[in-house]
Amino acid sequence: MKAARKPALQPPRAAEWLLLALAGDPDAEFVAGDLAENFGCLFARRGGRAACRWYVWQVVRSAPALLSLRMRSGELTGAVLRATLGVLLPLVALDRLWRFVYSQIPLKDGVERDPAMLLANILFVLLCSWAVGRQEPRTPRRAGPDVVAALVAAALAVRVAVGAAPAAYIVCLLLSAAANSFWSPRRRKLR
Amino acid sequence: MPKGESLGEFEHLVLLAVLRLGVDAYGMRVRREIAERTGRDVTIGAVYATLERLEAKGLVKSQIGDSTAERGGRAKRSFHLTGAGVEAVNRAQESLLSMLEGIAFPVPGGGQ
Repeated sequence: MKAARKPALQPPRAAEWLLLALAGDPDAEFVAGDLAENFGCLFARRGGRAACRWYVWQVVRSAPALLSLRMRSGELTGAVLRATLGVLLPLVALDRLWRFVYSQIPLKDGVERDPAMLLANILFVLLCSWAVGRQEPRTPRRAGPDVVAALVAAALAVRVAVGAAPAAYIVCLLLSAAANSFWSPRRRKLR
Repeated sequence: MPKGESLGEFEHLVLLAVLRLGVDAYGMRVRREIAERTGRDVTIGAVYATLERLEAKGLVKSQIGDSTAERGGRAKRSFHLTGAGVEAVNRAQESLLSMLEGIAFPVPGGGQ
């Protein structure tokens, strides 16, 4: 006889992921633990479907409070500051520099979009964002706001400063800014 | 008393819940206590945001407990009132009693 399969006592993955992404680093663990504990009680009392519905509803309704909590902790402000200092300002400054260099060169067709200059842009941004964020220990969850802020800053810089740059350059710039925000020499393992 | 030090209604409820629960005051228990006693369906996020604010004001203190299997291996953060928290609750209670003094309940005309 086949043994009846016991339903897994696991909160809905997507909702749990959303909760961990929304809540700041120290609080996420405690909130997720509390919800998991109550989820287990509800699962035993009212069944899986009701427990899942309750869990998802708690996460959705808690989202504004958890986000405001994260903002108050200064985590998001720090991410915006790091993206501005590490990505946006260096790119705008480089653009001004290249424009000046470009204005000094006679017969300058093609110089402005020279691949070496574009590569220098990317390397400079990598160096700046590393320098700005190197004291910040990162966990994958904590890196989320940094990645988003760096992407927005890079996109803004492309729009404001670089103008009609090749698509490959824009893609490389966005990817490297995002990847660099995720990586840190002091990256910490999740508890 | 400066304006920033007065308790909001929900802060007051959370402080009283922490006081009632004693050593077992953590986010979900506080939420359940408020829901059972007041009938308000509050979210765990709102409870944590308020507890965090109260901790920043110095009215509660938290300590991190061990992780358990039923919590998915995650740690528990328990709260307790500080001396300033107890004072704040006493002050809020005195203000409320003072305002209620001389009013006969139920106040007529509530259903109109």
